[in-house]
Amino acid sequence: MRLARFVGYRLVTAVPVIFGIIVLNFLLIHLAPGDAASVLAGESGAATPEYMDELRHKFGLDQSLVMQFVNYVTNMAHFSLGYSYRNDTDVSSLIVERLGPTCLLMLTAFGTALALGIILGLVAATGRNTWRDSVISLVSLVAYATPGFWLGLMMIVILSIRLGWLPTSGYDTVGAGLEGWAHVRDVGRHLVMPAASLALFYLALYARLMRASVLEQTGMDYVTTARAKGQTERRIMTGHVLRNALLPIVTLAGVQAGNLIGGSIVVETVFGWPGIGTLAFNALQSRDLNLLLAIFFISACLVVIINIIVDVLYFTLDPRMET
Amino acid sequence: MANDPQLNKITRRTALSLPLGLAASSPVVSGFAKAEEKPGEPVRGGTMVMIVQPEPPTLAHYAVTAGSIPLIATQIYEGLVTYDWDQNLKPHLATSWDIAPDGKSITFKLREGVLFHNGKPFTSADVQFSFMEILKKYHPFAPLFLADLTGVDTPDELTAVLRFENPAPYLMKALAGRDMPMMCKSVFEGTPILQNPSANRPIGTGPFKFGQWERGQFVRLDRNEKYWKPGLPYLDHIIARFIPDAATRSAALETGEAHFASYSAINYADLDRMKSNPILDTTMKGYEMTPALSVLELNAKHPPLDKKEVRQAIAYAIDRKVILRDVMYGYGQPATGPLSRLFKSVGFYTDDVRNYDVPDRLEIANKLLDAAGLPRGANGMRFSVHLEVNSFGEQWLRQAEYLKQALATVGIDLTLRSEDTATWLRRVYTNYDFDINEPFLSQGVDPVYGLNKQYLTSQIRKGVTFVNDSFYSNPEFDNILLTAMRESDHEKRAALYKKAQQILAEDCPLIWLIDVQYVSVFNRKLRDHTPGPLGPQQAFEQAWLEK
Repeated sequence: MRLARFVGYRLVTAVPVIFGIIVLNFLLIHLAPGDAASVLAGESGAATPEYMDELRHKFGLDQSLVMQFVNYVTNMAHFSLGYSYRNDTDVSSLIVERLGPTCLLMLTAFGTALALGIILGLVAATGRNTWRDSVISLVSLVAYATPGFWLGLMMIVILSIRLGWLPTSGYDTVGAGLEGWAHVRDVGRHLVMPAASLALFYLALYARLMRASVLEQTGMDYVTTARAKGQTERRIMTGHVLRNALLPIVTLAGVQAGNLIGGSIVVETVFGWPGIGTLAFNALQSRDLNLLLAIFFISACLVVIINIIVDVLYFTLDPRMET
Repeated sequence: MANDPQLNKITRRTALSLPLGLAASSPVVSGFAKAEEKPGEPVRGGTMVMIVQPEPPTLAHYAVTAGSIPLIATQIYEGLVTYDWDQNLKPHLATSWDIAPDGKSITFKLREGVLFHNGKPFTSADVQFSFMEILKKYHPFAPLFLADLTGVDTPDELTAVLRFENPAPYLMKALAGRDMPMMCKSVFEGTPILQNPSANRPIGTGPFKFGQWERGQFVRLDRNEKYWKPGLPYLDHIIARFIPDAATRSAALETGEAHFASYSAINYADLDRMKSNPILDTTMKGYEMTPALSVLELNAKHPPLDKKEVRQAIAYAIDRKVILRDVMYGYGQPATGPLSRLFKSVGFYTDDVRNYDVPDRLEIANKLLDAAGLPRGANGMRFSVHLEVNSFGEQWLRQAEYLKQALATVGIDLTLRSEDTATWLRRVYTNYDFDINEPFLSQGVDPVYGLNKQYLTSQIRKGVTFVNDSFYSNPEFDNILLTAMRESDHEKRAALYKKAQQILAEDCPLIWLIDVQYVSVFNRKLRDHTPGPLGPQQAFEQAWLEK
């Protein structure tokens, strides 16, 4: 009951936050010099002033900033994300197309990183100062310091060009007409390298954090107490330490989960993965404001929702938490 | 003039254009020179994957000419004519043409039995609508190429007469599908042209039909079963793939995932590796009608760049051979003046102009600057200016870094400024808040395009990109260009353009750096991919894949 009230309260307070984000995004975006018409005309290499005026009129850029804002908010109130004039299509359909591949990549990478990171951190902490610890610490340090794009390119060189095991890029084999499990396997083969190069960074982060967190908890008085009561080391670890050690992981994961929807521009670019990160980047480059604002809006909503979920998780992990 | 193209046959030219040898010693010698003849019977079927970079924003080929659109759109849309290797007109949608003695009208006889992808027959009404309602109103080049077009008469279904206010010799090289595509009237009629859904689902007469567009991934084109050339095209599908990262694009060719990449899709730096790969080869053919120069634009409103001597000194101070070697990896040639060498074959190019590439160029530059009243200061520098770095790729930053060094040797302190495309274009072409700009200029198929747009007084148009932003204004020169534009006699035209190039080289409103050479990389299994001078910007109807 208390939980339901808490969630309800958070949802209500989220509304002004999101509205504020919309306003701020809108204003910030309009601070950037240049507009979509001049970029489009620039890419064409030629244009007449009349043609550019017509483009600006079509894009709604000839209206005052206030009018543009009113139009935008009216659209949003009607649950419409607007129209991407540059791409000549609805913003929502552009985003929906990318949502699947983005979630697939990010959830795979993030899930793998989280699970493996926790396990490796635990293994390193329980075997502190043994070879296990040294190897895991060293590997995670290297992984943490390696740029994702470099790792990605190296994987392409070795796994695709030299060994020919995996396709270099893309979401699936275009034109192969694969169906059912064959298609799933095909997408999986394309997913391996981008997910791995993305996961490695997060994995290193979680492994290091988990190790530190577990070590910190094992020094606590309650562990000594538990040990004095004669509990087994395994029981101390799973029943007491793990629960507490997970709290910082949940906090960090919650913050980073907000990036999920944003995708990863670098990894998407290297592997030609059709994600939202590159969509947002291109929208920014071409001043496709409706599209950019929509991506910001969805990201903001997701961050708010994930924060609520994280708070709920705190409740379950640590009943002492108060709202 | 009106004979049908030989269908179904590989011509001698196309066979020759197939480079099949091993890597050559010099990077500049392409596959063409080392070609060893390897005849083969074309096979039907197969899916060709080509790399297109960047992903086009739309396929509205008739209203937006952004670089990568024609690579896809010319598979779908066709023009009235096409061109042979000597850039002579070749029949295509029109079987013959007749230019009136006064040059003010051209009568096209149209091919019978051509169908649009929606099943509608192609008639003179489509020609009229395409020219008058779409191209003349919305094509970015229309103010140059179609300004004199007053109407299109349609005496019968298969005859279209283009009428002009003045003779339009410059149009004769711009009638292929790349520059003047033919659209279906019934698709556009009664709708706002720019909002037409065919922007993303084009309907043309070409050998390939639009299939599917997965944004961020690929466009799929399907074989047009009812194409008017019997038996063609050979391929079942063409997939245009979009891969944002340059290294991955190269990798996709090396693994055989992609068969073809053109223009700047593959970095010059990677080309040597591509050539040494046994499954790949390269060619420089197919760019004969795509002249382009890299240049510097000098803002004559910003002193001391208003002085001719200062502009000339900058032109002398730059060693184009260094740019060619270190920035362009040897692909291209040092530019000698305002026109690309590609205009040589049609008689318009001349190198009989002020030569800035002389052994004592640094002494001359220093002398000119001294004479302009710009002595070196305490730090050895005479004056400071900003260079706006081209945002379309990192090679331009490398070029800018060289320019900074080169100009410092004659006492000009260059500060580099890199901004994103929208900011850069706004600063240069709308706010005119720049000293030196570093653009890359496509020169079109006729001097009218590259010269008129860039140097006419009337082309100083605030807010319009890639026009006269150096404030060059010379009434005598304007006169020559406008006369040359309408001169039907080729010899007289050529003489006028020679004079124009000499005046420009002397006045030096721009500094011409490199005559650009593009390169196509292809898988050796892909054959007959470059059948004419428009190369990747014409349809792959004759291309086929070895089994």
